[in-house]
Amino acid sequence: MIRLLAFTLFATPALADVDAILDQHVLPRVDSFAAATDRLAEAPCDPAALKPAFAEASVAWAGMSHLTLGPVEEAGRGRSILFWPDRRDATDRGLRLLTAQGEEAWTPEAIARASVAARGLGALERLIFERAAEPCALTLALAGDLASTAAAVQAGWDGDFAELMRTAGAPGNTRFLAPEEVERAFYTALVSGLEFLTDQRLGAPLNTFDDPRPARAELRRAGLAAPMIATQIAALQELAALLAPAPETQASLARALEQARGIEDPTLAGVADPSQRASIEALQTTLGAARRQVDAEIGGILGISAGFNALDGD
Amino acid sequence: MRNRRDFLRTMGAALTTCAVPTLSWAEVGGPVLLSAARDGDGQFALYGLDAGMETTFRIALPGRGHAAAAHPTLAHAVAFARRPGTFALVLDCGTGVVRHRLESPEGRHFYGHGAFLEDGAVLVTTENSIEDGEGRLGFWDAGDGYRRMGDVASGGIGPHEVVRLPGTQILAVANGGIRTHPDRGREKLNLDTMRPNLSYVDGGEIVAQAEMPTELRQASLRHLSARTDGTVAAALQWQGAPERVVPLLAIHIRGEALQFRSADDAAQRSMEGYAGSVAWSGDGSRVAITSPRGGVAHIYGGDADPEILHRADICGVAPFGKGFAFTDGLGGALTPKGARRHPVAWDNHLVPIG
Repeated sequence: MIRLLAFTLFATPALADVDAILDQHVLPRVDSFAAATDRLAEAPCDPAALKPAFAEASVAWAGMSHLTLGPVEEAGRGRSILFWPDRRDATDRGLRLLTAQGEEAWTPEAIARASVAARGLGALERLIFERAAEPCALTLALAGDLASTAAAVQAGWDGDFAELMRTAGAPGNTRFLAPEEVERAFYTALVSGLEFLTDQRLGAPLNTFDDPRPARAELRRAGLAAPMIATQIAALQELAALLAPAPETQASLARALEQARGIEDPTLAGVADPSQRASIEALQTTLGAARRQVDAEIGGILGISAGFNALDGD
Repeated sequence: MRNRRDFLRTMGAALTTCAVPTLSWAEVGGPVLLSAARDGDGQFALYGLDAGMETTFRIALPGRGHAAAAHPTLAHAVAFARRPGTFALVLDCGTGVVRHRLESPEGRHFYGHGAFLEDGAVLVTTENSIEDGEGRLGFWDAGDGYRRMGDVASGGIGPHEVVRLPGTQILAVANGGIRTHPDRGREKLNLDTMRPNLSYVDGGEIVAQAEMPTELRQASLRHLSARTDGTVAAALQWQGAPERVVPLLAIHIRGEALQFRSADDAAQRSMEGYAGSVAWSGDGSRVAITSPRGGVAHIYGGDADPEILHRADICGVAPFGKGFAFTDGLGGALTPKGARRHPVAWDNHLVPIG
């Protein structure tokens, strides 16, 4: 009897609790990002007030940046929230153009049509940390634009995307034909989040031992590169736990979080310092292991395999 | 120009359909679409789907399929192996029996697509002449056991999909422009010099050609759909710098230049530079391209902006009723009548029958 039950459990992939993922993970994170960007938009135009509000908004974004499905992927919102990686420094060019255009180009409507590279956290970081938030009207306009993008993301989740996920398989719901498809969407978010951490957030500044690129670190001017990484690890740990029991994945993510919190220089300048680089590389290795464990443990339990057509390409 | 039927007769075509008793599509449950798939247990198969998107037959395949070609009247389907495959199977969809096995001639491989001419008397396949990298169209006599008849130039490098223009014996072939060699798998050997084109072949000769403009010469023209009036839609795959956002749908009327359609920057970016399949709607008023990488289909009609359909791993698309049928790697089969989910992963292409 026990034998039979065990077999059945393996034969039928387990189902994660979609309501729990939405209510305990997604919606609270979407709400805190919206609230943090509101506070940033309402802060007085003074670097002393703007800097902590900027850090809060950025870290709140790191806590949900893996949720690229749904409202964030619409209308290019993800890129307008943070245009990064930005290897060609499009942020600088976009911001210079926007500054030169003057106040008429700083209305909410005009900003919403501006280059995504000149909007969001990347552009705000330059203004707040390098230009004493001047011109003030532009800083406030960009903060307001960011808050409305965050509000649109929040409205998208609250308005119907969460409902589409909860009603997978209901007549008329062509986005999700079964609860398994919702699970798969969150699993994909977990995997791509881990890949973004190793390949971009860590990989971009690490580059190679002979050619480290500290200037490529995310939000380094604000000293947020390491905090962004730690926050995303914690978020992925939470999502993984809600998807399926996965002891090895959890152990690796816990270790990665500890390693990320131990990074001395929050700008990740340590990638160019042989005495600090090893510990940042070690973090990347731990996350690489977590990525493989997610496949084996969670992918296995949920019966998920990678994109059949997306990876074929012909 | 030689007479077209003379050309095929010169090649030895009997121009008759097969003498062996064979069922019609109606006699095998009336499938309207064909698709290859991977079953839940990892086996590969070719399926027929009826107007209710129920499966009407399943025939096991020895490996992963790519596209199929449906005989216009007889319940025969030609299933192609994935590129760079060297065989194709002619399946009897009534019995599930492999009627013929087509081997690509020495020094050739198939690209995974084919089309029927002359009411099903002749099968055409896209092929790579491996040594010189030239694209070829192979001709096979369906009335004589799919005997190899001969071949002609496809008009470019890397011919991928070939379709017959409705009501004619003219073939449209997408010369994707990418040179590959089977020894190096799918590695692309000429991205710096590639120049894809859309060629029209009638009576074995190239009668018209449209080249990709210089700025889009790295957009590989791969998949095609022909409307009743002969207007061709082509799905493109971008091989250039990934940060450049380019159109992925080309529309062509013979004698004119290629025209392109594109969504706004953010929506276009979500296709990730890759359109996997293309189809005109059943009533010809709209055209859809799919991106499995982005999990979206863009459906262009009278408005500048496309209608956007979100489905993870979506790729197959075909005319259905007045609109479209879509399939995806999660087993979804969507038509204007509703959505079904099958316990399979549908492969890249959904092929209309008839």
